[in-house]
Amino acid sequence: MRRSAHRRLAVVALPIVLVAASCSSNDDSADSPAGTDAAAETTAPAGDSGSETTDTVELTQDSGSVLDSVKSAGTVRCGTRDALPGFAVLQDDGTHQGFDSDFCRVIAAAVLGDAEAVDHVDLETADRFTALQSGEIDVLVRNTTWTASRDGVEGATFLHPNFYDGQGMMVAADSGFTSLEDMNGTVVCVASGTTTEGNVSTEFARRGLQVEVLSFDDTDLIQEAFVGGRCDGWSSDTSQLSGLRSAYPDGPDALTILPEVFSKEPLAPAVRDGDSAWAQAVDWAILSTIQAEEYGITQANVDDMLTSENPAILSFLGVEVDGTTLDPGLGLPADFAYQVVKQVGNYGEIFERHLAPLGLERGVNALWNEGGLMYAPPYR
Amino acid sequence: MLAWVFQFAVLAIVLAIVAWLVNNVRVNSSEQNIPTGFAFLDQPAGFEIPGNSFRQSQSVSAAIYQGFLNTLRVALAGIVLATILGVAVGVGRLTTNWVVRTICKVYVEVLRNIPLPGIVSFVYLGVVLAMPRTQDSWKLGPLVVANVRGVSVPWVTGSFLRFVLVLLAASAATYAVRRWRLAVNARTGEPAKVGWWAVPVFVLVAFWGAVLVGNGVTTPELEGRLTTGGMTFQPEYFALLVSLVIYTASHIAEIVRGSIQAVPKGQVEAAGALALGSWQRLRFVVLPQAFRIALPAFGNQYLNLMKNSSLGFLISYFDLTKVVSTSIGNRSPAVPAYLLLMVIYLAISLTIAGVVNFTNRRLQLVTR
Repeated sequence: MRRSAHRRLAVVALPIVLVAASCSSNDDSADSPAGTDAAAETTAPAGDSGSETTDTVELTQDSGSVLDSVKSAGTVRCGTRDALPGFAVLQDDGTHQGFDSDFCRVIAAAVLGDAEAVDHVDLETADRFTALQSGEIDVLVRNTTWTASRDGVEGATFLHPNFYDGQGMMVAADSGFTSLEDMNGTVVCVASGTTTEGNVSTEFARRGLQVEVLSFDDTDLIQEAFVGGRCDGWSSDTSQLSGLRSAYPDGPDALTILPEVFSKEPLAPAVRDGDSAWAQAVDWAILSTIQAEEYGITQANVDDMLTSENPAILSFLGVEVDGTTLDPGLGLPADFAYQVVKQVGNYGEIFERHLAPLGLERGVNALWNEGGLMYAPPYR
Repeated sequence: MLAWVFQFAVLAIVLAIVAWLVNNVRVNSSEQNIPTGFAFLDQPAGFEIPGNSFRQSQSVSAAIYQGFLNTLRVALAGIVLATILGVAVGVGRLTTNWVVRTICKVYVEVLRNIPLPGIVSFVYLGVVLAMPRTQDSWKLGPLVVANVRGVSVPWVTGSFLRFVLVLLAASAATYAVRRWRLAVNARTGEPAKVGWWAVPVFVLVAFWGAVLVGNGVTTPELEGRLTTGGMTFQPEYFALLVSLVIYTASHIAEIVRGSIQAVPKGQVEAAGALALGSWQRLRFVVLPQAFRIALPAFGNQYLNLMKNSSLGFLISYFDLTKVVSTSIGNRSPAVPAYLLLMVIYLAISLTIAGVVNFTNRRLQLVTR
């Protein structure tokens, strides 16, 4: 008797759940303009309170902006990964080292004045946007390509790219492949949950070549499949391939990266939609590393630069000039750029520290006045 | 009366919790500009499915349908094979032969005590990826080509549906011949020799039937790295199927053993008194009664096997879960996509449970 009653309950509850779910999706499409209005309204006061907090740090947790919650928590929760050579590697002593990890530190140095006030949260590729949406992390700095659909659908706002990448193909050096054209009818392994799967299929289709794409969650499994001959090619962003190649068990010379680069992959930090105060703060933290390199400010000479002759550099570093200190109203401390460069370094230094050892050239990631794409809007 | 009030109170609480959760998803999603509807199903998928003609420009719903078929492919084959292996091992645990009994015991105790993801990874890394590379493929005459890219066997060309119909016709003809031979045997006492008649009839009807409806045969051939022709079993499919079968069979074997031991001892002794041999005792007396006891528990194992097939994502087998999670990686919204995933699994599970329960009711002893 009890059992049948339970079953009846389940039978009753199930359709209601389904109906409720479908109703909600209908309602939602009708509501969504109103929803975005509400979001826009809430961000406006949040931006105001953000500029107020520059002089007095208020512990306002429910004013909405992540900028305030980060300040009151005293740490930045930064979504990253644990085993991508050059970008983010979890060391034996529990610290994260790498290009992306340093940009997490840049954000913490800018917002909190302490580059080590970072909580590095390791995320699987497929979970990263969910973690961002659910508020598990404050900012995602995890080799994430900025695409239109991710901007639109994932509820993420992408900021200034910290690395311009492109997808390439790595093969065994003794395979005889010298270009993609040789790779008809091959199997290519990629990491799952990324844009790389679709890029491989598109590129091979464009060239009229056949390909089969396998995707794994775990980089170690891709490597096993590659070593075992299950796949001929290993495709990913060329920066990642360089890192993986440098850590390959048979040595980097056992692998070759083919010359073709067949996609645009601007890797950019991302924050949640609808929080422009926090987005601007993170954006300018990253831009400050580029501006510092352009000014020639390095970790070593930043203290000397505080007495520079150039008023632009002085106001960039938050030094008082003629009794005034420039506050652009970003909700950041006046000396945020000084803290970033002092504690972490400028863009070129971070690049040299982590990516040059992998054999990566500056290339398109050089400053704009040296033929690259790294360009910061003026700080004034 | 009090019981009814209690029931309604529970129902109200459940509904309130569900409503709160649904509202939570709605509010949070709209605040963050995440779509909650199912419009993503009509978007291009943006990825391809290995071992399949699915193209990335086709819709997400078509991709999910292919994932559904792949789940069914591995689950149905797994259920059949796990049952066969499980029954064999379960009977083996009760034989008087010490060697067989011990092997079966070790099999059960080892496999049912290892987590399934471990078995899947081990089979894939240790067995499948250890197959020869394409340039050193194993070949069995013109029939089989095996390498790390898969095992290829001869297959029919032309309409597969027609071929299945031909096989059904051949089975019907074989059954008719069998009945005829048994009737002859009963009437005249002439030996029935069903096998002598039935096998040639099946082969002849199937062969000529297939030729008539336009089916042909294709054999696998190695051309460089590619194997063309024939039917190729993907290594990932093979690894997942083997893992699910050996794991589930270890559980089924214990059910079979328990069910056989639950058959009253007098049944076996009575069968012995009728001078039935040990095989006949098993086949005609013990197993039929044991199955009646085992069937509901089998159903649970079938459901487990079907749901465990979602571990295919570990080794890039594009089952339903893998397709949905890949699709989420290619911009499908997570909450509605996972909701859809759960509903599809629920539908498959309820179907399997329904079939098992129906069979169970048919096999139940009718008592008054």
